[in-house]
Amino acid sequence: MEGIVLALFLCLLLALVTKYLSLPAIPFYILAGVLLGQAGLGMVQADEISKFFSEMGLLFLLFFMGLGIKPERIMSNRSAVLTSGVIDLNVNMIIGFIAAYMLGFSLSESLIVASAFYISSTAMAVTSLIENRKLMLKESETVIWLMVFEDLILIVVMALISAGNQNLIIFFVKILCVLGVLYALAHYGKEFLVSILDRDDELPIIFTFAAVLITASFSMFLGVPETMMVIALGVAFATTDPDAFEQHARPFKDVFLVVFFVFFGVTIDFSGGVNWFVIAVISILAVVSKLISGILTGIFIHGSAMSGLEIWANTIARGEFSIALAVLYGTPLVGTTIAVMVIVTSIIGSFAAKYSTFLRRGITHMGRRSGPSRRVHSGR
Amino acid sequence: MSAMALRSLNLPGVGTKYEFETDKGDTVAIFFTKTGTIQMYTLQKGCHTPSAAEMTPVEARRLGNILTGAIIEADQESVEIAFSALADLRVTIHTFYIPKSVAGKTIEDLQIRAKTGATVIAVCRQDKNIINPPPAFTFETGDAALVIGESDQIKQFEREIMVD
Repeated sequence: MEGIVLALFLCLLLALVTKYLSLPAIPFYILAGVLLGQAGLGMVQADEISKFFSEMGLLFLLFFMGLGIKPERIMSNRSAVLTSGVIDLNVNMIIGFIAAYMLGFSLSESLIVASAFYISSTAMAVTSLIENRKLMLKESETVIWLMVFEDLILIVVMALISAGNQNLIIFFVKILCVLGVLYALAHYGKEFLVSILDRDDELPIIFTFAAVLITASFSMFLGVPETMMVIALGVAFATTDPDAFEQHARPFKDVFLVVFFVFFGVTIDFSGGVNWFVIAVISILAVVSKLISGILTGIFIHGSAMSGLEIWANTIARGEFSIALAVLYGTPLVGTTIAVMVIVTSIIGSFAAKYSTFLRRGITHMGRRSGPSRRVHSGR
Repeated sequence: MSAMALRSLNLPGVGTKYEFETDKGDTVAIFFTKTGTIQMYTLQKGCHTPSAAEMTPVEARRLGNILTGAIIEADQESVEIAFSALADLRVTIHTFYIPKSVAGKTIEDLQIRAKTGATVIAVCRQDKNIINPPPAFTFETGDAALVIGESDQIKQFEREIMVD
């Protein structure tokens, strides 16, 4: 118990500092965990309580993701979501998978590494767009829809991995049934749900917390992974009043997720045959591969490689979902690799996003000097 | 794109975006983000880099009050203005149409200040505006009175003076 208190206190300090410097907090939470845990000072060990907290963090992260998935909205933006999404998926999954496999990971490990390699951090992308005041750029809409597409792929990947050796058809029928039941509940119980959410007392927050926990425990009876069930719950609840649910689930998500990140760091162990060359290659490729997909997306969607640079800058950072994959399905070696990749990409990403405007201007400037003289734009 | 076409868009995870193009070809975009702040971007025609301002909800409301010209434009409804810099001072301005029962009486007769605490700051009479009417000012049917005060004083005015 003292371990959690110590870790939380350190995270509180880190949160203050990172917010002040407007840096992403996630890599520093992991580093704090590494420092306090097995690989560092050995002051904090994972115990039953921290495991429970971490699991809550993961469940609420996924519930939140589910709330954000609104099928009808995605369908109305199909073309925008699809083109960029497919480029991003193919480029990064393939590069990630080949790199991981050639560097000695097994087939199933390579799949996890590739998925974690592919999926950018939605939280960091959105924060960087807002904090760097880039919302009006045409590229930010592309980035935002890219994040939605990646969430969808994550669900598919998680379903495929957790299905494992089970009969795939039975597994998916089960998930569809669950989704159907939850949808029906949300549809026919909508008025009831909304009446609960509208109250000013403690009821909405108790209800939200209980709904997520009950759904997760109920999944055992059905033999469906709780991750899938909680996402399904989010998707179903999104048809009622997603904003209210987000508001009531946010405190749980914010607190438990910090514990989740720290204790992911705590469990990391650099002693057992960690190959730093492999980790370095994966981390560098993670930055390069998003540059390739970003530029391709920029050319296909906005007709400009420069737009691609902007997309790249905001999607370099890997974060919460990569770690979720590592925690759920990764071996210790995969976990360490993903941890370093998240730390490296999120820090590089935060600087790239902050200075992308200078970067673009610098490149345009150099292009002008060497190319035929063009009229210089007014403006800053 | 036709001018003044207001486009509103829900961006997943970010918030709501409103964007429109002015007659002159400049673009204004407002984002209500999920973090609770409001960002306003303006992009001058022909430019590529927008400039941005981030506001708290209170600041955004102040900007809104300025842009709508709240006091001048208010016609039949009431407008509440919050002066956030002055300990959140709130002033309400309300327009009342003078009923028959009040016509022919002066502001003094009605004892408006004593009974309600509100003040008549202007009267509109057929396209003519009388600013700061004196106590001896006589109301006529069809006048529109602009009354200023706290919202309670305005309610009092409605109950005490506007009776048929």
